[in-house]
Amino acid sequence: MIKLCGMQRTQDIEAANKMLPDYIGMILSDGYRRTIAPDTAITLLGMLDRRIKSVGVFVDEDVDYIVKYVTDIQNKCCRHPDVIQLHGHEDAQYISALREALRLHGLQDISIWKAARVRNSDDIIAAFALQADCLVLDSYVAKAAGGTGVKADWELIRRTIGRCIESSAGTAFFLAGGINCDNLAEALSVSPNVDLSGGIETDGFKDADKMAAVMRIYKSNLRCAKDGAGMEINMNKKGRFGDFGGQYVPETVMNAVSELEEAYNRYKDDPEFNRELQALYHDYANRPSLLYYADKMTKDLGGAKIYIKREDLNHTGAHKINNVLGQILLAKRMGKKRIIAETGAGQHGVATATVCALFGLECCVYMGIEDTQRQSLNVYRMELLGAKVVPVDSGTGTLKDAINEAMRDWCTNIETTFYCIGSVMGPHPYPEMVRDFQKVISAEIKAQLQEKEGRLPDCVVACVGGGSNAMGAFYNFIPDTSVRLVGAEAAGRGADTPMNAATLTNGSTGIFHGMKSIFLQDKYGQIAPVYSISAGLDYPGIGPEHANLWKTGRADYVAITDEEAVCAFEYLSRMEGIIPAIESAHAVAAAIKIAPTMSPDQIMVINLSGRGDKDVYSVAKYRGHDIENS
Amino acid sequence: MNTDNKNINRIDRCFTELKAANKKALITFVTAGDPDLETTEKTVLEMFDRGADIIELGVPFSDPIAEGVTIQKASLRSLNNGTTLDKIFETVKNIRTKTDKPLLLMMYLNTIFVYGTEKFFSLCREYGIDGVIVPDMPYEERDELLPYADKYGIHNINLVSPASHDRIKEIAADSSGFLYCVSSNGVTGTRSGFSTDFDEFFGLIRDNASCPYCVGFGISGAQQAHDMASYCDGVIVGSAIVNIIAENGKDCVNKVGDFVQELKEGISDSI
Repeated sequence: MIKLCGMQRTQDIEAANKMLPDYIGMILSDGYRRTIAPDTAITLLGMLDRRIKSVGVFVDEDVDYIVKYVTDIQNKCCRHPDVIQLHGHEDAQYISALREALRLHGLQDISIWKAARVRNSDDIIAAFALQADCLVLDSYVAKAAGGTGVKADWELIRRTIGRCIESSAGTAFFLAGGINCDNLAEALSVSPNVDLSGGIETDGFKDADKMAAVMRIYKSNLRCAKDGAGMEINMNKKGRFGDFGGQYVPETVMNAVSELEEAYNRYKDDPEFNRELQALYHDYANRPSLLYYADKMTKDLGGAKIYIKREDLNHTGAHKINNVLGQILLAKRMGKKRIIAETGAGQHGVATATVCALFGLECCVYMGIEDTQRQSLNVYRMELLGAKVVPVDSGTGTLKDAINEAMRDWCTNIETTFYCIGSVMGPHPYPEMVRDFQKVISAEIKAQLQEKEGRLPDCVVACVGGGSNAMGAFYNFIPDTSVRLVGAEAAGRGADTPMNAATLTNGSTGIFHGMKSIFLQDKYGQIAPVYSISAGLDYPGIGPEHANLWKTGRADYVAITDEEAVCAFEYLSRMEGIIPAIESAHAVAAAIKIAPTMSPDQIMVINLSGRGDKDVYSVAKYRGHDIENS
Repeated sequence: MNTDNKNINRIDRCFTELKAANKKALITFVTAGDPDLETTEKTVLEMFDRGADIIELGVPFSDPIAEGVTIQKASLRSLNNGTTLDKIFETVKNIRTKTDKPLLLMMYLNTIFVYGTEKFFSLCREYGIDGVIVPDMPYEERDELLPYADKYGIHNINLVSPASHDRIKEIAADSSGFLYCVSSNGVTGTRSGFSTDFDEFFGLIRDNASCPYCVGFGISGAQQAHDMASYCDGVIVGSAIVNIIAENGKDCVNKVGDFVQELKEGISDSI
């Protein structure tokens, strides 16, 4: 995409209207060479072709000032900037606050871009962590905020982005600074998205001939550069986390997915819906869950102060109920009478069966045949709650096959059935919606720790299969860049053996189960059979938002073996008198490794996603005791 | 898309010829590599000989979410034999030395994405594949493939189903090759009957389609093929053929041929 920035006069807009760049920019903060007055901004925006998007550039302004500025423009010309570009020292917290303020004023469709001045690769990596919708990478000139007109170190950017794209970062970015007619082709080889200002000026004002020349070069390059086109597509698509996410499902379920998306958007801010959900959280599910200071464990490990978020104390024994209550309330409002779900360890299946019992809905749970055996207790619980459990014997007979079968059921019974997905995965809107129903976890941690310690934690650890408890525990901390986020994935018999489920350690980008994300697969894209002692982490993929947190470096992911998880299972049982789910034991194992490396004045929170009663048989078996038949 | 006659896509040419002769298309499906690629090659040539106009080769995938049990099992048999996309391309190359009729690949998006989208379509072009059907890529995500499919002159076949409702208008109007009309909601596999209101479904398609449209999913015999062909420009038969292959293994070739001939006779008097 191309952005022509620093528009000042009506003739600049007239020229742009003929050429149709993707974006034009206007400097709206006071005191810069190309600053325009609010009245001029209104005039220019009023005459701008609707096919061109507009960017308002601000430098270190108060959030309220920006919101007021934008609202005033909106009131006077029925149009507001499509993008707010921040060109000063705004940090992640600021961006988050601005996003929230825009949302409160009904301006949530405005994207937030952040300009970053690049000295070295760390600047780029730090910028990607800011969670802006898009970045503008500019050169660094000491003391000069805003556009510098100097060419940045493109080779550095190319190298860093190349590295990031292979192993991490995914946010789109524009290349800016010193781009003109002569070096545009080179700039486009670094980034498909470019931002020009000084390079299209003569004597300090936009030059229509230079603009036209630049647009010609840009368009001919665009026709050749297919990858550039790909990036453009993804940036404009809904349901994306960087490059990940999307809606890759059969045509038959597309209307159902859209219908769900509409319903979710309608109800997520509906006061009545939220009142009902909060009441159920409080009165039925036992929320807020406790935040417990693990004194013995802290002393034993001799590092950070350890708090445990007790999601295991929720009704049904895991975090899964948070999401199911939300989705079933939605299903009820959508008039659906039949609920289907997939389950791995059985916790999501039990939660779904429970809430269906509560609301008198028909419930059918698909479960891999392998999992029905190692989690027979949960199968019985689901049946007790009135659900039908369908063992799935296709493929590897585990969670992914249960999802395949649930998708097939959904295709067949699309008009009557609501698919209650249990994790932050699948086609949009599921990853976003499930996260929103789980983010109560991090909201509570934040408030509870504020009360106990008066500050943020330094590290939050959670286990990751599809990643719903981890997204819930991470989400409200994402803008707080001082908080290290750590996901623990399942390494099974070892991440370097074929028997593992360590998606981010060993996986690659693919498109499966409705989403573009990271998957364990072979070179032909066949999904790999995976293994973990934990049925809930035994999945060859991960939710797209995690893939993006990983790619941008905002969260770290470590691989924990069966042996480490079982040791952590036993450790927490004896140390704190809390038997964790074997899934959650992976997070405990990661904590046992990380906490001693931290100092006693630092704070770590472990999200204990579920309780371990269901795992007692399989851990005993792992240790060589057959308690089931004795 | 190629415009000169020599390079015209074989699917387009096929429908032009059928239309001129006032005939319907018979499109058949086999899973490549089931029971092995040699048999697949023989079966394809036999089906063309006995009346198939267009053939879809299923590329086996570990997790075929749009397939019923029949094709799931065929995929598994094929994968267990070590079938890969590269080996399928070799088979296509062999088939192309013996026939110039249209061939499509029916496959899942991840297979193309991981293989490399551009490399995939350039090889389709080189080996003589004329179109792809990707059941887990809805219209909204078509840009994942379309720029490359267009570049190499390969049709990306859109699907619509009864659950598409008002989406049919937009999709039908923006399709090429042919439009794949899914007979009833659900996965592939034979059905004894349909509950879809075909007059309404095909009415909407007829009013909007920018290319020929064919019906598939659940068509299991000559009579059903005959009945369904009256609504559209062709019928697609898959699982019923795969069942014959599953029962007969390497000895399936003649039996599949007989069945294809029956189907062809079934639709020959359909208008």
